[in-house]
Parts: sequence; structure tokens; C-alpha cells
Amino acid sequence: MSLFRAEGLVKRFGGLLATDHVDLAVEAGEIHALIGPNGAGKSTLVNLISGLLPADAGRIVLDGIELTALAPHQRSRHGLARCFQITSVFRNDSVRDNLLLAVQAHAGSSFRCLARRDAEHALQQRAEALAQRVGLTEVLERNAGTLAHGVQKRLDVALALASQPKLLLLDEPMAGMGPEDSQQMIELIRSLRRETAILLIEHDMDAVFQLADRISVLVYGKVLTSGDAAHVKGHPEVQSVYLGTEAAA
Amino acid sequence: MHERFPGLARRLPWLVLALLAAFPLFAPAFGLEYYVGFVRRVLIVAIAATSLNFILGYGGMAALGHAGFIGVGAYTVVALVEAGFSSAWLAWGGAAAVAGLAAAAIGAVSLRTRGVYFIMITLAFAQMLYYLAVSLRTWGGDDGYGIYTPLEMGVWLDGAHAQVFYWVVLAIAALVFALFSRVAHSRYGQALRGIRDNETRMVALGYPVYRLKLAGFVAAGAVAGLAGGLLASHNAFVSPGMMHWTQSALLLVMVMLGGLGRRWGAPLGVALWLTLEEALKMHTDYWHWPLGVLLLLVVFHAPQGVAALLERRAGKEAAR
Repeated sequence: MSLFRAEGLVKRFGGLLATDHVDLAVEAGEIHALIGPNGAGKSTLVNLISGLLPADAGRIVLDGIELTALAPHQRSRHGLARCFQITSVFRNDSVRDNLLLAVQAHAGSSFRCLARRDAEHALQQRAEALAQRVGLTEVLERNAGTLAHGVQKRLDVALALASQPKLLLLDEPMAGMGPEDSQQMIELIRSLRRETAILLIEHDMDAVFQLADRISVLVYGKVLTSGDAAHVKGHPEVQSVYLGTEAAA
Repeated sequence: MHERFPGLARRLPWLVLALLAAFPLFAPAFGLEYYVGFVRRVLIVAIAATSLNFILGYGGMAALGHAGFIGVGAYTVVALVEAGFSSAWLAWGGAAAVAGLAAAAIGAVSLRTRGVYFIMITLAFAQMLYYLAVSLRTWGGDDGYGIYTPLEMGVWLDGAHAQVFYWVVLAIAALVFALFSRVAHSRYGQALRGIRDNETRMVALGYPVYRLKLAGFVAAGAVAGLAGGLLASHNAFVSPGMMHWTQSALLLVMVMLGGLGRRWGAPLGVALWLTLEEALKMHTDYWHWPLGVLLLLVVFHAPQGVAALLERRAGKEAAR
């Protein structure tokens, strides 16, 4: 049985069927890429899975636990973590404080209100380990908002990793990056597969073909086809719809 | 400041506390007895403002109905006095508890909204409480309710000194201030700041955002209720006017003047505003408009409040 399954997911915005009965499975240790043209409903799907948007129909199961009825923060507690297409970090805080906040969410109660948080040795250690994991050790004391885009993106990933997720949703981690940063991010994602399964939404085809074990193509809210890189590259409909002009010409 | 006078920043709160504690003792020698009562009022309002600064400055919850909780606290004291109770501790504790309950009910509904809607809905609830108080004839309605026999703080305390109530208020204010300062650096305080800065991310990180906010809202409501109970004793009088929305707005202005989300923001803002009001009232009936000018100056020259200005000045000196 798959680690993660989404079955018959539906989302309507008024008359627009943004997600049209989507079935999706991610196996343990797998990087599953989700591609599709702009407006195909990729980000909507990520929001449905992470729970930031309520689904109109369908169910979501992770590691045998039904997540459909759970609030987004509860889904996170059951091993579902996500990053954001538009980098979402705590810009006015240091990288250390960012990481501490992420680590704290999954280590004991956040209703503790008398002891100094920063004096908790175990939290500090885990934050530092996390920084090392994604290569942020040098910038631990810098304010997150002052970091370069690529570095902020790595911090975004680190925040998601703090929960030691079973499934990590990456919403266009390479968006707006130069080739050097992209390559670093690709290396990071590749190294993550030992720790977590990944659902990767990405526009950068190079990255997708380098990383993905399986690729699903989303068009108009529907999964057009699903398979390995060769299958998707060779699929005639994918060529016409997504890769476009060459097939049409 | 931190560099040049090591330890001063740490000792400053104690120095302020010592000066305030000694004030009633040397006030008569300078003919300042009247101002003991004034400082007492400043302290009580500072308690309420500190609680507002906590949810607004640290939690990002722009509540425009905080005076409602002050009123609930004050009317709880009225209800207990009317029922024949005379213990001050019971009355003030009751004031905090009932206001906390009111905050739980109001917060449970209001915190499902964001931004302008949250401002409006907290305002609406506070106005409901205001009109409820106006309509309650048994507790004086529009005319208010006089508390003619002072509440008893215990045999030993009541007889000790004419100004014992002042010290009790000072002790409570210091405790509240110390408590909120401490909470600000705890796990809970950090989580609250995270919610203020990036709520969506906090949800995705796995934080029970709604419950965290509600806990802060209830705590702040209870403390505001405590301030209301103390204010009832201070004035020996309670009227619906104290929970009118303009009072909520005034409290907000004082916190912003002092410095939103700054440790010293609330007490500084309250002390500055009430002192200026008092001083200006001696010279002119039109004291509102110099205060308005001051507010404009602060908005343009110290948009983060006086506390931030002082912190910056201190930082600059350290750098020099």
C-alpha cells in the first residue's frame, strides 16, 4: 500500500472546477513530481493536501491515517509538512529563531509560558543540527529577511523538515532561482529522499527529470497521465498540452 | 547603555519599583499627597494597557474592545458588593475570573475572524456590554454605582497605613508586568510572535494557532478585568462610561504611544499620556489638542513608540 494516497479530490471556486477528481499516490522513499502548465491547479492541490483549503470531496490518507477531516496543524502533527511557493519564513527574526520556532512546534507544548525558550538546550541543539543539514550554519544569527533568495528558500525547506515529516510537499522550490542556487536545491532535495517521501511541484523540467521517480501531469485540474520520465516525455497528449509547440508544429 | 553601564538595564526596573514604593512616604513632605492617588490610577491603567500590549503587540490581535473587559471586572465588583460581600481579594479575584470567562466567550467567536473584521467584532461585543450596563437598573444603569464602604483587604492590611491600597496596586502592577515580560520570552510568547508575523506558516508548522490565540486573549481579558476591579475600588464608583469604545481606543492610543510590542511600551505610554493630560488640564480646558499634536509628532518621528525611541538612543550610545 502507498505511503500517501489522495482519492477523488475535488475543489470548486464558483463555476471553476480547480481540482477535478484527482487521484494521487506517493510511495515511501519516492520523489513524485507534479507538473502542468500555469493554472493547471497545482498550488490548489497542494493547499488541499496540506489543508489550507477545504476540499469539496475526496479523501487523503497518510501512512494509514485518514487526514481528510483534520485541520492543517493536525496534519502537520501526523507527518505532513510543506513549503511555500512564495518563500514563507519569519523575515524579522534570525535564522536561529526561525529554526527554534519550527523545532519547538514538535517538541513539547507551546503553552509553556514561564521558562525562557532560548535556554532550552535540546531545542538549540536540534535547531543547529537542522541548520547544518541544509547548510545554514554560517548565517544562523542573520535576520532571515536579509538573506539571498536561494538561502531563504533553503530555510523554508528547513522549517518544514523540523517536524521530521513522512511526506514533504515542495511547492516550486526552484522558483525564481539562478542556475547555481537551483543546482544546490536539487542536491538538497536529492539528499532528503532518505528521510522523507516528497511531492514536488516544479516548473523547471531539468530539475524534475533529474529528481523524480514518477511524474504526474496535471491539466485543467485533472491528472492527464502518471509515470516515469520516459513515459511522460513520450506521451503524445503531454507533448501537445504541456511541452506544446514542437508536437503541434 | 548596556555597554557603558553594565547591569543598569537589569537594575532599572528595580530602581523604578523602589522609587514608586517610596513615593507615598515622601509625597507629604513636598505637598504631593494628591498625586499618590494619581500615580495609583496610572498603575491601574498600566495593568490594563500591559495586557492589551500583550495580545496586540506580541499576538497581533487588534482588539478594540479591551475596555469591555475592564468594565466586566468593575461590574463584577459591583455585583459582589451588592450581594453583601466585602472582601477586596474576593472582589478582585472575581473580577479577573468573570472577565476571563467573558474573554473566552467573546474570543471564541472573534478569533475566527482576521484584520478589520476582528477589530469590528471586538468593538461590537464591547459596545453590547456597554449597553447591557446602561440597562441594568439594579447596578445604577446610566447613573453608575457608588461603592460607599471601601472593600476590606484584611485586618492587618487595612489598618497599616493610609496608603496601603497604593502599595497593593503597585505590587499587583509589578507582578503583572514581570509576568508578561517573562511570558514574552517563553515558548508560548515566541509562538505568539510567530503567529503575529506569519500565521499561515505557523499553521503549516503544526501550531494550534486558534487555541494559542484564545489562551492569550483570555489571559489578557482576565488581567484587564483585574484592572477594572482595582479601578472600581480606586474610584469607589463604577459607570458604563468606563467601557465605552472611546476608552478602548484611548487604551490603544496609549499603548501605541509607548511602543507596541515593547516591554516598556504600555507603562511608558500610560504614564506619559495621563501625566500630560493632568498637567495640561491645570492650564487649559482645551487639553485635547496639544495631546493630539503630541500624537502626530510621535506618529511622524517615533512611529514605533517612545519605548523604541529610548531603546534606539540607548543602542546608539552603546555604539559610540
